[in-house]
Amino acid sequence: MYLYLPVALTSINILIPIGLGLAVGLLSGLFGVGGGFLMTPLLIMLGIPATVAAATDSNQIVAASTSGTYAHWKVGNVDFKMGLYLLAGGFIGGLIGVQGIKILNTMGNADFVIKITYVLMLGIVGTYMFIESLLSMKKKKVEEVKAEKESGITRFLKSLPLQTHFEKSGVTHSAILPVVFGGFVGILAAIMGVGGGFLMVPVMVYILRMPMHVVVGTSLFQILFNCIEVTFLQAYTNHTVDFMLAVLLLLGSTVGAQIGTVFGRKLKGEQLKIILAVIVLVVTVKIIFELTLSPTLLLAQGGGH
Amino acid sequence: MPEHRTQNTGYRIRFLLFALCSLLFALNGIALAELTAKANHDHITIDFFYHGSSVSVKGISEPGTDLIVKITSPERHEALRKKGKVAGFLWMNVGKLTFERAPFLYFLHSTKNIEDILGREEMDKYVLGYPALSRHMEVTPVANDKEKNIWFNEFLKYKESSNLYSTSSGKISTVTKNGKQEYSIVLDWPYQASPDNYVVTVHAVKNGKVAETAEAKVLVEQVGLVKGLADMAKNKAIFYGIISIIAALGAGFGVGLVFRKGGGAH
Repeated sequence: MYLYLPVALTSINILIPIGLGLAVGLLSGLFGVGGGFLMTPLLIMLGIPATVAAATDSNQIVAASTSGTYAHWKVGNVDFKMGLYLLAGGFIGGLIGVQGIKILNTMGNADFVIKITYVLMLGIVGTYMFIESLLSMKKKKVEEVKAEKESGITRFLKSLPLQTHFEKSGVTHSAILPVVFGGFVGILAAIMGVGGGFLMVPVMVYILRMPMHVVVGTSLFQILFNCIEVTFLQAYTNHTVDFMLAVLLLLGSTVGAQIGTVFGRKLKGEQLKIILAVIVLVVTVKIIFELTLSPTLLLAQGGGH
Repeated sequence: MPEHRTQNTGYRIRFLLFALCSLLFALNGIALAELTAKANHDHITIDFFYHGSSVSVKGISEPGTDLIVKITSPERHEALRKKGKVAGFLWMNVGKLTFERAPFLYFLHSTKNIEDILGREEMDKYVLGYPALSRHMEVTPVANDKEKNIWFNEFLKYKESSNLYSTSSGKISTVTKNGKQEYSIVLDWPYQASPDNYVVTVHAVKNGKVAETAEAKVLVEQVGLVKGLADMAKNKAIFYGIISIIAALGAGFGVGLVFRKGGGAH
């Protein structure tokens, strides 16, 4: 059955966005990522204009992350305090990132910088997570060496002012730390035009040393607020949010996020990390193929990632 | 007497002129009435279950004439991103191209190959065929005509991939009945064609020239809730944005509650 989308100005088989929503919502509930890096390109492939795909995806992530945050909050896996610090940093970073894009655009090489940054970040994060989780799973003695290496960094982090305890995560850090790293992810996310969940998760795991299950819930919490802001701005300034498409996507993604949370509880932190690493690496390879293989069409609509 | 004769001659000349004019007018009238065009589905409404439509164009023409059926939307300017190679091997967006005087939709169907029945001047005058459209449109920024042609061909590929541009010859069926030629063509109307006023132009071609032209219209418009939502997205953007967010939050919480209830049952 087909449904016409009033803003995208196209017709779509309703089972496709519901199915896509379900799959991406599942990833969202499992790993605490918004899934924009998967959903937006898939929507464009289905004939949705790039600008509408990106804006509508933000709207459906609001639903999926609400569903996911709620499910994680019920089992005590959301660190609201940490989430708010990251959110504050992310907000400032987003503003800086938008200015960065303006500068890149005037320099005329914005797309090159964005694509290369995207591939490098995905590649580095995916590879690091993959190797680290694999080593942890094999329980090699790497941990001891690491602990020694990290002691210097840990000492430096402990010496920072405004130390505060994050009860849910069971860690003590300077309040500056989540704000700075939230800001860093915010800058990159704004430049790359994505939500940044795939960057925020490793920051929380490896730098803030939060337990993986709390990471997922907290990441979803801050993604929720980011996407509310993006949805509103897109609807207000670009008129590119397609409500009907968002409804179809969220029908799948809200349920998917719940299922993902249930599955996530059955998996160990290391298993979750390695699966996310594999997904990130697969996306990296896909983008590398897109960049190197001759495209069938040399013209495309403006906007999107 | 000579004066009377002159008067008579004057009357005769005036009468002859009048008769000649009447005959020409009548002949012209017959010729104008010869070609007709009607689109059977001239008002396409877009509701939630719209997935494209079909439009048939039919009419009557003088026997033996070739026919060209053109359907276009009003011309507009389209700004598109162009892809190119960076560092010799990476394909990415390398800038923007603007296509001026470009119809959003362009269908051209003829009884025979258009270049075999019309001269270049006529094709350019009525913008018939891709070569004429290429000469009619402006592409900026391009360095020269060669580059313009390359990007025009890419523009055609882009449009044809969305079913918005198409050309064919031989698809118009014709039957001669009672000394008149009846023609018809059935076209798939793509759902990608946005709401607009489309013009169907039928040209009768004789001796390499357009002899007659007839027109019909196809109106495509959104109706009901589809129109309501599209209008709200444009004209009440703040309200639309807030509603979209509330609906998403509500759906997220709603599904969360349903799952909690489900979980409680175990």
